[in-house]
Amino acid sequence: MTRWNDGTDATASVSPDITDETNALPAKYFTDPAVHEMEQETVFSRYWVYAGHENAIREPGDYFTRTVGDRQVIVVRDKDRGMRAFYNVCAHRGSKMVDDTPMTDPGNANGIRCPYHLWTYELDGDLRSTPRSFEEAGMNPDLEDEDVPRLDPEENGLREVHLDSIGPLLFVNLDDDPMSLAEQAGTLKEELESFPLEDYELARRYVSEVECNWKTFSGNYSECDHCQANHQDWIEGISLSESELVVDDHYWVLHYTHDEGVEAAESLIEGEARFYYFWPNFTLNMYGNADGYGTYIIDPIDEGRFQLIADYYFKDAELSDEEKEFVQLSRKLQEEDFELVERQYEGLKSDALAQAQLGPNEHTVHRLHLLAQEAYDA
Amino acid sequence: MNQRERARLVVTCPDCAVRKAIDDVNEAVAFHRRHRAITGHDVEWERAELEGASIPGEDLRSVIAELEARVEGGVPLGLVTVAMGERGMTIGETLDAVRELRMEGKLYEPRDDHLRVT
Ligand code: FES
Ligand SMILES: [Fe+2]
Repeated sequence: MTRWNDGTDATASVSPDITDETNALPAKYFTDPAVHEMEQETVFSRYWVYAGHENAIREPGDYFTRTVGDRQVIVVRDKDRGMRAFYNVCAHRGSKMVDDTPMTDPGNANGIRCPYHLWTYELDGDLRSTPRSFEEAGMNPDLEDEDVPRLDPEENGLREVHLDSIGPLLFVNLDDDPMSLAEQAGTLKEELESFPLEDYELARRYVSEVECNWKTFSGNYSECDHCQANHQDWIEGISLSESELVVDDHYWVLHYTHDEGVEAAESLIEGEARFYYFWPNFTLNMYGNADGYGTYIIDPIDEGRFQLIADYYFKDAELSDEEKEFVQLSRKLQEEDFELVERQYEGLKSDALAQAQLGPNEHTVHRLHLLAQEAYDA
Repeated sequence: MNQRERARLVVTCPDCAVRKAIDDVNEAVAFHRRHRAITGHDVEWERAELEGASIPGEDLRSVIAELEARVEGGVPLGLVTVAMGERGMTIGETLDAVRELRMEGKLYEPRDDHLRVT
């Protein structure tokens, strides 16, 4: 049931089974700055978080940065063409090393060099070289040059971050000893890897800043009960009644059937849209009516704001007119959703509501709330 | 007219076709920094209705000197981007130019993201 903030009612846990009870995640978990802080540890430092697409960095030495909360990692292709991730922090005295480098505009370097005192690292993270002032004791009267200890390349190398992939999609995990990506992804891994995702190029990135908690948008993404009333253009040509929601441990999928799809010969998937949500903040959008796919990263800025990083992948980074139009329609859809979630968030922020309730068909949203609660309690 | 259109301060990224209404000029700078970090794009002012006449001055330093007379405690960096936006510069271009002047010792920051001429 709904619980108003009338000073009497305490909140309850998210219902274990949404078919007989309907408790949502209590409202304070969407609005409290302390919860935002807590999530950096309990959610974003514990689960596998999407870092970017392998196709953006094809050559050895290509790299981009990705910031998760207040931590930034460098994702790089090493000399053996393997993928690695490191904290963007120098092993000498902790300087940030490379500048912010988005995946849309990757860098290339044959080693990672810290600009502060020029310690330089191999692409596998080992310390490659230091300037002479770290090898000789010229300025220190108490030390002979030959007594200066040699720095072991591995022990003084960069701090590596766990990295794994689903097809060309790269994920990082900031935990020291995380569960495997395969475990978190479950059957999603095999399902996504059955698509030739690597044959597609990043063609567009749209970043928007939205005034609501990241979970508010995530919940909106996860259901289409609001579509009929709010996405007139989109639902045209879609059989909503034939839609299907599938919920697994850490992901859920919304399936929709278009009246008409794209030609099967060149398409990933014909006529069937699939929207995958992968906890905590990644989505993969299979359109079924365009030969391409999209991804969303739903990155919190603070408790009341997030940025939506929307990437679009097509066979060719140069879009046809039709594809451009398609992407614009998708952007329009985003704007419609932003209005909805900002409005919802205004209501939530007013503090009138202590705990919302979920509908019986909102079992995808329920899974999201349950995972959040589980993460907080762990 | 919805709330976004009513706003007096709006920044936009032409590449992303994204607009953002803000309350405070320096929030434009913060937005730009976040946006640039993720996209490499440059953000610009779409609308900045500020009180008072437009600011005289040709180059960046004299514009900041002019503004200094009007505000206390240093000129918000965002306000400088507005003034330079009127002169055709994006927020990123202004920030780069400001940095260069700071490195030359011609500006300083009495507090974070607020400027004064030396
Ligand atoms: S902090 Fe990086 S070289 Fe000194
Ligand atoms: Fe942009």
